[in-house]
Amino acid sequence: MKRLLAVAVLVCAAFAAHAELPFIENDYKKAVARAQAKNVPIFVEAWAPW
Amino acid sequence: MKAYVYTDKSLERYAGRFVWLAINTEDAANAAFLKQYPIPALPTLLVLDAKRGQVTLRYVGGATVPQVKKLLDEAEQSYRARSLSPADAALAKGDGLAAAGKSKEAVKAFDDAIAAAPKNWPRFGRTAESLIYALSSTADYARCATRALELYPRVKGTVSAANVASTGLACAAAVEPRNETMVEQLENATQEVFDDPKIVLSDDDRSGLYLALIDSRDAAGDDEGVVDLQTGWSAFLDQSAARAKTAEQRAVYDSHRLSAYVALGIPGKAIPMLEQSQRDFPNDYNPPARLAYAYKEMKEYDKALAASDRALELATGPRRIALLSTRADVYVAKGDAKTARETLEQAIAEAKALPEGQRSDRRIASLEKRLATIE
Repeated sequence: MKRLLAVAVLVCAAFAAHAELPFIENDYKKAVARAQAKNVPIFVEAWAPW
Repeated sequence: MKAYVYTDKSLERYAGRFVWLAINTEDAANAAFLKQYPIPALPTLLVLDAKRGQVTLRYVGGATVPQVKKLLDEAEQSYRARSLSPADAALAKGDGLAAAGKSKEAVKAFDDAIAAAPKNWPRFGRTAESLIYALSSTADYARCATRALELYPRVKGTVSAANVASTGLACAAAVEPRNETMVEQLENATQEVFDDPKIVLSDDDRSGLYLALIDSRDAAGDDEGVVDLQTGWSAFLDQSAARAKTAEQRAVYDSHRLSAYVALGIPGKAIPMLEQSQRDFPNDYNPPARLAYAYKEMKEYDKALAASDRALELATGPRRIALLSTRADVYVAKGDAKTARETLEQAIAEAKALPEGQRSDRRIASLEKRLATIE
């Protein structure tokens, strides 16, 4: 079962910023404020530099 | 997903329709977020409704561009909807509970959603995946495997079949006493997904199918079958890396390629690829961390420690705990119990000092248990 959790890691391996879409990095409060102002949902990717 | 998915031009039309947030789970700045939304595996995708303070959608695992588009369309529709159908409401409830770490309660909600699902409900596949994942998270492996078998025919031929079959198989392999019929049926289902050219899988899904099959054959004591699958897995990863168009895309496969080489008893094959990644990404702790592991497996302990030094200089937060743990393994293998103990004590101290949301009591207990075994 340990491997079950490891499986999903492969494609997430990434390095710092997300380039094409305007990702806010590691600032949940800023994302919430912007989403409330624009009345749009927040898409979150939880990742790690694996 | 950054290397392959978010760079896709077809996602640009969604840019202004969402606020995009990347949460590095190893960054201490995100501890409060992680406490509110426990992350069981990486990546985990969430869509949040900031106005209502609700989770609109949750998906555990990597996704292809078409899968991401489908998730975004679905999330936007739910976000704008004035009312939800019973099945949609139950799914949203399940996503919210799962996102709060309440897997048992989430299982019931996902079950309710499936029971209320109208014919051709477009969210059926994702709900089935979420149910099976939630069941595996509760360690109810027998029900997880049974439900996977029940649901598989309804998702057969779709991308959701991959997670339903492989997660169900992983659960079946953990059921005691072993149920050979259930294992065989889920192995066949997993193999069927694997062989279906119409199902376009992300590489992590395909790698997940390999891992589920390898674990299952391993649990069955089928050594020959394990080696065959590991050989296929390694070749698949090598081919995927060879197709990469950028250094970043190639390095995505480093972790699993190293695992495959170690499993096959050829850790030295990983050295050139990891040295290349170390040159390409000099500020990333991953290449030296993986070199440390590879050299440890090769019994070249001084090289392992040198690589470990480089990794520890670059790493922060929870990642240092894993690096120190590997470093302790190296000292144990060298026969230096004293330094191994000191290294584990350092790992435990650093693990305890992590902020809530990043601190793992299970991890600390595991390190302490290990420390007690070093004479």
